[in-house]
Amino acid sequence: MSEGLSRRSFIKLAATAGAAAALPGCEPAARKIIPYVVPDENVIPGVPTFYATTCNECRAGCGIVAKVREGRVIKLEGNPADPISQGSICARGQAALQGLYNPDRLATPMTRRADGSLQEISWEEAIHQFNARLQSAAQSGKNRIAFIGSSQGPALDNITRLWLQTWGSERLVFWERIGEEAARAAAQACFGRRDLPIYRFDLAEAIVSFGADFLETWGSPVEYARQYAEFRRPKLRNGTLSIGKCAYISPRLGTTGARADRWVQAYPGTEGLVAMGVLNAIVNQGWFARDTEIDLGALKEFVSGYDPHSVSEAAGIPVEVVTSLASWLGQSNSALAVAGGDDLQTYIAAYLLNAVTGNLGRTLVFLEDSPPEALTPPQDAAEVVQSIHDGQVDVAIVAGGANPAYSMPAAWNVAAALKRVPFLIWMGEVPDDSAQAAHLLIPTHHPLETWRDSHPRAGVHQVGQPVMQPVFDSRPLHDILIQSAHLAGGTAGQQIPWENSADAVNAAWQQLQSKLAPDTNPTEFWSQALRTGGAYQEAQARKVTLDQAILRRKLQFRSAAPENLMLAAFPHIFLYDGRGADKPWLQEIPEPVTQIVWDTWIEMHPETARQIGLKQNYDTRYLYAGINVVEVSTPNGSFEAAVHITPLVRPGVLAVPIGQGHSAYGRYAKDRGVNLWAFLPEASRSVPVQVRLTEKRYMLTTPLGNSDMMGRSVIEAMSLEELTAGKQPEVEREAQEEMPSGPYEMYDPIRYPGYKWGMTIDVNACTGCSACVAACYAENNLAIVGKERVQEGHIMSWLRIERFIPSPEEAHKAPNLYLAPILCQHCDHAPCEPVCPVFASVHTREGLNAQIYNRCIGTRFCENNCPYKVRRFNWFAPEWPEPMHLQLNPDVTVRGAGVMEKCTFCIQRITAAEIDARTEGRELKDGEVITACAQACPTRAITFGNLNDHNSAMVKRRVENKPRAYTMLPQLNALPQITYLRSIYHTTENL
Amino acid sequence: MNRVIIPIALLLFAGGVVTVAFSQRPWAPRSDVEQPIPFSHRVHAGINKIPCQYCHEYARRSSMSGVPPVERCVGCHGSALLGGIQPITRPWTDHRQPPFEIRWNRVYALPDFVKFVHKPHIWAGVACQECHGPVETMDRVVPVYEINMGFCIDCHVKRGATQECFVCHH
Repeated sequence: MSEGLSRRSFIKLAATAGAAAALPGCEPAARKIIPYVVPDENVIPGVPTFYATTCNECRAGCGIVAKVREGRVIKLEGNPADPISQGSICARGQAALQGLYNPDRLATPMTRRADGSLQEISWEEAIHQFNARLQSAAQSGKNRIAFIGSSQGPALDNITRLWLQTWGSERLVFWERIGEEAARAAAQACFGRRDLPIYRFDLAEAIVSFGADFLETWGSPVEYARQYAEFRRPKLRNGTLSIGKCAYISPRLGTTGARADRWVQAYPGTEGLVAMGVLNAIVNQGWFARDTEIDLGALKEFVSGYDPHSVSEAAGIPVEVVTSLASWLGQSNSALAVAGGDDLQTYIAAYLLNAVTGNLGRTLVFLEDSPPEALTPPQDAAEVVQSIHDGQVDVAIVAGGANPAYSMPAAWNVAAALKRVPFLIWMGEVPDDSAQAAHLLIPTHHPLETWRDSHPRAGVHQVGQPVMQPVFDSRPLHDILIQSAHLAGGTAGQQIPWENSADAVNAAWQQLQSKLAPDTNPTEFWSQALRTGGAYQEAQARKVTLDQAILRRKLQFRSAAPENLMLAAFPHIFLYDGRGADKPWLQEIPEPVTQIVWDTWIEMHPETARQIGLKQNYDTRYLYAGINVVEVSTPNGSFEAAVHITPLVRPGVLAVPIGQGHSAYGRYAKDRGVNLWAFLPEASRSVPVQVRLTEKRYMLTTPLGNSDMMGRSVIEAMSLEELTAGKQPEVEREAQEEMPSGPYEMYDPIRYPGYKWGMTIDVNACTGCSACVAACYAENNLAIVGKERVQEGHIMSWLRIERFIPSPEEAHKAPNLYLAPILCQHCDHAPCEPVCPVFASVHTREGLNAQIYNRCIGTRFCENNCPYKVRRFNWFAPEWPEPMHLQLNPDVTVRGAGVMEKCTFCIQRITAAEIDARTEGRELKDGEVITACAQACPTRAITFGNLNDHNSAMVKRRVENKPRAYTMLPQLNALPQITYLRSIYHTTENL
Repeated sequence: MNRVIIPIALLLFAGGVVTVAFSQRPWAPRSDVEQPIPFSHRVHAGINKIPCQYCHEYARRSSMSGVPPVERCVGCHGSALLGGIQPITRPWTDHRQPPFEIRWNRVYALPDFVKFVHKPHIWAGVACQECHGPVETMDRVVPVYEINMGFCIDCHVKRGATQECFVCHH
């Protein structure tokens, strides 16, 4: 030992010094507790508060409930009291939260300097500029101001209208690209009123959809999905078991086609023609309803020239399809034909089909007191844009997320118009494509921060209340407009007696009260509306008769098959018309049919791919989505995108999703993919194109392994005959995988004395809409990883919609597409548990397969051993750019890097409910605990409950549907606690 | 000799750093926390026998017990003019002053992966003191027990409560 310092004291010193060095760096950050000064009586910190409001993500008008914890909204759910949503909302609706907390929202008012850069200004300055510009424009004459916004409900739209009048202008546009014009114009032509009907898919026995993707984006998808599940539920009719028959006419399958019996691959743009062919067959076969007052002679004359043969030739479909669809519609007790897209004639043909088959007033219902039209018809919008082009406008205002530069038809050249206008004001949340040229940018409240009302249909009046304090330094758009109108004065200004938009909404409800419920107390009416989300009344059906003049109208359809390849653009189920692109959940949840994320792709049939010289063969076992880039030339210019080869699109057609290709609109949307609206004509979503294969490579990304079940039966289906006979379908399993004769236990079986949680999933009701996936992301703090990491095989979804494509050999006895939600099966013999070296993966006494994050050391053995591939590993520490972290659920741990995670059956909800029950000294009631996915499901395909309670809805459902029940991969003897109910299909012979 | 000792010393030093860095518990209760105002639990809960949940009113209803709102303080202290309790801090009685916030320093904190809920413990009849110690005797709250998992489990075993990992760690 050296002199002076003994070995022992040296070690002591070293360790102490080490400790001393480490301590200051590791001291916890000062944590503060700041109590309320005056507490809100109704708020208990730690207990969520729920506010009813309305969804503003599309025109359907779903009522929603916002779950608020400690003053910030953490989740959106459907409002059970609302007749449209009935307790569920779609993935898009739930992702509205990410619009609210979007890190790229404009934080302060900005003005553009001469050099094009943006400069922050104060609110006083911004409001002053806003009004000064309006003032000088109004002084130089009438109609010098144009406003292009989106409809925000009757009360707020009224403010906008009055405000613009005050400034002496009529140039007002409420814009929506996926609009209502065709449906309204057709209703005008057929029935003499520009009303929108409501549809009753649940009352039909046969549905024929002429291009309406009613399970994806068309109309009111949540409501229609719910109705459709009822339509497909096996029911006894005249003593035989039956389910509804559905045909979907579209060049692309989509989830609507996936759930239909018949996918009719007509050329894009020929849907109306097919409808006329069907009408012709119905008339000539005499299948029309006898009690309608339609002039038969005129009808015969009207449909002549649309004989099934020529129609099927022009549409490129077999002739027997047309006649069989005619028999579906004409010979069912009740049927429904719906039209989609922007083509007026398709709508006319579909309305006629319903009228002729006597389904008007049954499955297609017009209501008394339908709300006035809110959207501006495209031709009027075009006029306003033209006036900007012509230099008749001094100040243009783009507001409310309308984004005309992105979504208005290419022929209008809106981007140039907006550049041309002397002063462009943009008001909104995330600066989008239309903000690029703006001179003044004003941040406005998100709809969830604003007072609104909504009147989506007769009998449904909703009130939208702000669910939290503003996240950013923004102001309500309509408050700015009201103040501006007061400043302008004049007679019109006096018509706005309200101080702010909250007053205006309140005043509108007072009026409504005097109309709907004159006997009630106004205060009570108002608070009742706030509590339940609105005022709901049974709407009266209006008797409509067909205007016989329509039968003398000459419809124009393309009469021959297209010579070129056709591009068929379709709205992306999540990105919709493009407004979803700034929300990372919607980007990262795979599009259900292709399973592609974060991109624009071109769906191409293997045959077409061969034609254009692509050497890559189609194989369902592909491990990637697509890589070859093609150049597509349209009459409006050309674009490049990578090809996804798939049999789920018609040969000769390129199906491309709409929604990407923003030049701005936040970090998640910017410079990603292609904006299809820029290439489409005004009232059509298809266009002839030329395609050239390039040498370029671009990897499309999918988290999916492949599209083939590889001989294993993961998602099962059975035919209606098998169900009627009550026999299990014969499922081919791999020869070497022997089925155990029953549950096999080596040890004494484990007892679960209290609750035992389980799930029943009705695959027959699943539409693949992915609302459950979005709900899981929101509830459980799932991280977004981005395209690059998904490419590397990393995605955090605990719950996914798995899809498999049936092979051509089995296509006649299989659904069009296998679709089902797959999540942790909470196996009794969980293969993940014995391999965990640290007991992080353990079984609870309530039958849950638990993952204890703080114990996990990240060996990933469990993930390897999981046959269902539902475990997710945090390869990186998750990031939530501020203020997105405000959305995190405080009841769920945020997992760090190196930790495995998976579905917990929403243990935080189970625990909370159990604590409530225990403190009240009772047992949990059935339905008291509901997982986020089950709550979100529009079709109620998912039921959650206690397996030990034989009266629970979940157990009953699997017992009552015994012939359809199966567990996934039973040969593994993992004993999953999730029972699936097979989806039912019609065999081709029996359609 | 130094050639042997210095590397060993460095290694030990590094070892010390690593050990301490990983063994320290930033969420462990802190005994050195000073509060912005000299509030005394002894005076309130001890001498004046104010029940804990008069101020920490959310404990039986929520995951968190809650720190009383300033309004609760003023409820007693503000009524000095009506013969109430002499306020020790003048601004609370002055209603012309804008409401202000008290920024308390946290004594007890749990990491994010522990989802402790006060409610069931209160309903099970666990006295506050069983975890927080005899707060009614303390002027400044200092922790008595180190609230780690062993502490929780000991009590759960004793009382026959759940020992399921998943109940707290999710």
